[in-house]
Amino acid sequence: MNTPTSRTEIPPGTLDMLILKTLARDGELHGFEIAQAIERTSVGVFLVEEGSLYPALQRMLVKGWLSGEWGRTSDNRRARYYRATAAGKRQLEQEIREYERAANAISRVLRAAPAGA
Amino acid sequence: MNRIATLLRRVWLLVRRDAASRELEEEMRLHRELRAESLRDAGVDAREANAAAARRFGNATTTTERARDEWGFASMNDLLQDLRYATRRLVQRPGFTLSVVGILALGIGATTAMFSAVDAAMLKPLPFERASELVAPVGINIPFDPGPGQKWRGDGPALATFDIKNLQAMPETFASVAAYAAGGLNLADEEQPLRVSAGVVTADFFKTLGVSPLKGRTFRPEDGVPGAPSVVVISWGLWQRQFGGADVVGKSIPLSARKYEIVGVMPRGFSFPKESDLWIPMSIPTTFETFASFRGWLPATVIARVAPGVSTAAADARLFAKWEQYIASLPREPGKRHSMEATFDDVRTRGAAPALQATLIGDRKRGLLVLLGATGLLLLIASVNVTSLLLSHGASRRRELAVRAVLGATRGRVVRQLLSESVLLSATGAIIGIALAPLLLRILTALMPPALAGLAPPHIDVRVLAFATVLGVLTGLAFGLWPAFGATRDVSATAIKAGGGHGATAAGTRRAQHFLVAAEIALTTMLLVGAGLMLRSFDQLARTDSGFDARQTATLEFSFSRGSATPAERGTRLEAIVDRLNDVAGISAAGVTTDLPLRADGGIAISVKSDNPAVTVKDPFVRMLAASEDYFTAMGIALKRGRFFTRADNAPGANVAIINEAMAHAFWPGLNPVDRTFTWGGDSLPIRIVGVVASVRESGLEHEAPTQMFFPIRANNPMNVAIVARGTLSPSALLAQLTTAVGAVDPSQAVHNVRMMRDVIGASVASRRANTTLIVLFGALGLVVSVLGVYAVTSYAVAQRARELGIRAALGATRRDLLRHIGGNMTWVTIVGVAAGAGLAWSLSKVMSGLLYGVTTHDAATFIAAPFALVLAVVVATLVPARRATRVNPVEVMRAE
Repeated sequence: MNTPTSRTEIPPGTLDMLILKTLARDGELHGFEIAQAIERTSVGVFLVEEGSLYPALQRMLVKGWLSGEWGRTSDNRRARYYRATAAGKRQLEQEIREYERAANAISRVLRAAPAGA
Repeated sequence: MNRIATLLRRVWLLVRRDAASRELEEEMRLHRELRAESLRDAGVDAREANAAAARRFGNATTTTERARDEWGFASMNDLLQDLRYATRRLVQRPGFTLSVVGILALGIGATTAMFSAVDAAMLKPLPFERASELVAPVGINIPFDPGPGQKWRGDGPALATFDIKNLQAMPETFASVAAYAAGGLNLADEEQPLRVSAGVVTADFFKTLGVSPLKGRTFRPEDGVPGAPSVVVISWGLWQRQFGGADVVGKSIPLSARKYEIVGVMPRGFSFPKESDLWIPMSIPTTFETFASFRGWLPATVIARVAPGVSTAAADARLFAKWEQYIASLPREPGKRHSMEATFDDVRTRGAAPALQATLIGDRKRGLLVLLGATGLLLLIASVNVTSLLLSHGASRRRELAVRAVLGATRGRVVRQLLSESVLLSATGAIIGIALAPLLLRILTALMPPALAGLAPPHIDVRVLAFATVLGVLTGLAFGLWPAFGATRDVSATAIKAGGGHGATAAGTRRAQHFLVAAEIALTTMLLVGAGLMLRSFDQLARTDSGFDARQTATLEFSFSRGSATPAERGTRLEAIVDRLNDVAGISAAGVTTDLPLRADGGIAISVKSDNPAVTVKDPFVRMLAASEDYFTAMGIALKRGRFFTRADNAPGANVAIINEAMAHAFWPGLNPVDRTFTWGGDSLPIRIVGVVASVRESGLEHEAPTQMFFPIRANNPMNVAIVARGTLSPSALLAQLTTAVGAVDPSQAVHNVRMMRDVIGASVASRRANTTLIVLFGALGLVVSVLGVYAVTSYAVAQRARELGIRAALGATRRDLLRHIGGNMTWVTIVGVAAGAGLAWSLSKVMSGLLYGVTTHDAATFIAAPFALVLAVVVATLVPARRATRVNPVEVMRAE
């Protein structure tokens, strides 16, 4: 694991997408597992602030993108397991499309040759 | 669709908020534990791992709150919290809370009650179908047919008058035309004769108003013509009271000694006109029969329903055009005005066909509106006062608010907090006010005689409640917003340090308060000027020379039932009653008349020609009354010239009359009319004047007495009479003597209105008295509220400036100086307020002109006395707390800092 100092805050507005993607891939996860999965798959670059994770989860529950079911962890502790709903998956596709458009645009701007050169 | 699902989820979360919060916390606790375990697994010391996990989580409470915010309804949740907090704070300050809630409850309660009264009288449509289509054409005659062989003593040859037939001939304009009159009848009953209110109505009356009978039928055009069977339609109320709701159609009832067959029963709630118990038919043309049971005549009102598709304005215009044609067609005599031209003047000013509702509201409108305005002023004073109280309250909380601001509350949050307090106050005030409104309304209706109240009894309904609610919310916001923003304007750390709050912000609050107090004083001045004008009018009215002396005079009224006595027998009985009374020790004079003063509800005026050719009288119609020999003495009507009647004047062919001063002045200006003569109608015999008496006011104290002529009572032996007795006996003994005397002569005779003359005066001024009482009451309440306001503001200023005053005292200021210092500001505030209020009242008092009597709208005495009373009250309210300030012990104040 990288040291905390080298970690990066998740870019604003993308946390929902990351959570949805993680759940779409892994199926059912509880909060801590979501945070760990994001940290792990980003190879420790992204730090999932719990302070933003739970508000985001609640927001997506209210919007109907996620469903939450209480279940048991492997060591028999109560945890709420989240799953992406059909609406959540549609939302994910849309967010990915928008993200890619934006990312392409940004990289085009960054790679543009100096004017007149 | 999605949005609705989201909203439903939000609502669901709001419902199970506590459970959801617990779940959220459990979830996050697990997260912390797992985080700590994973750190431990990575080899971090257990305690440090826990701490690190907690740290990473940040402030757990904040996170929970932010997560919960995602559930939505955050503001509503905050509002609940604000309300809880506000409730706690208000309960901690019972004095402040009680005064604010009390003032508001009073203001809102009074305004609500007044609104329901005005609503019932003016805003609610008449209880008839499509009432807006109903009009009351002005100046429309109802033709009279004296019958074969009868001679109508009218003014010369019968003219084609403008009458109800002209309206009936306009079917394209008026779908239905009717007429009604209201009077009283005797209903014979096994136990005791009963006086009932009767409507005399044409056949189309019920159809025009759009009501159908509950049972049986209403009238047909052939009902009421001479020779037709006597029929009556009774009201639901009489049906229940008198007949217990039994099957009565077809039964006969004795009304004023004549049998009437009941042909119909009207549905519940219908009792128009006035509070009619029953209706009898009026034929067109009317005959001697029609009003025989009354005083031979009743004032009738013509009503009409406009044809479908015709607006009332169009109907008015068409009718006015017909009037103009008619007036133009009248024969002209040089130098003489036709009597119908006077009627046309009336049509010109009031409109040809004004709405029935407006006609029925009539004079009450102005009085009710002025009263509503006065209540509005009272509510305004209450609101301003509460604002000022909240302002001092907010200012004294500057420190608390500053602390909250430092702890991270945004200004919006603090404003919301303060607003929730004022909304809570106003809501409580409004709820108590609405709860009080029925009680206040009962007081109000008790104070308001029927003359002022509406057709339907006022009650609190949905509209009134909506009015009160809007009123409560508006006042809450209005008086809450300013103090809330004012108190938070400069919430900063400096306020914490500033201690008691002397300095710029406190001065700002004081300025705002001074403005509010000035406004309050201005509003109160207006209210007091209004009350003063009404009081002065009432006083002027009480001083008015009514033309008679009401002291120690008792009266009763009765009507001979038709056929129960011949005219001669009536005369004999009246004479017997009067003789009995005159024999009683303690009764100085007793007499009979046809019309009591101030009771002009009938009688007729007749066109008179005098023997004085030098004068053309503009209005030759003179009211005709009858009086016995001692009537004038009994009523205290002064003899100006000549003599009273004697029994000899009763002799056939005596042809004498007594006239009043108004008639003397109109027909014989500057001359002695005694022994002059006049004629009336087609009568060729001249009538000789034997005396002139003082003019007696007839249709209310505020209206000049009309021209009157009295004939000896035996000259026409009237059906409807009033007995009058004056004496040194106590009122109850006097009244008992009156009823005993009538009963001794005819035990079966029903009597009514047995009362002292001063009660007759009381009844005639009742609506003015009610208006005056209410406005004076509102004025007094306004005065109390604003004096409380001044007191509160001065007390606040003294408390805020204790330190400054202490220093001044320490530096050698005398008590006088301190008093001047504290009171000085208030003096200016008062002067500005009173001046502004008096100025506004001066320009607005015009609206009261129709309500005043004997004073102008710019009555100097009122405009001096009202502000003076207010200034006096304000001085007292200022001096009490200000004197407290001068007793400040400088040492104590300094130590306290």
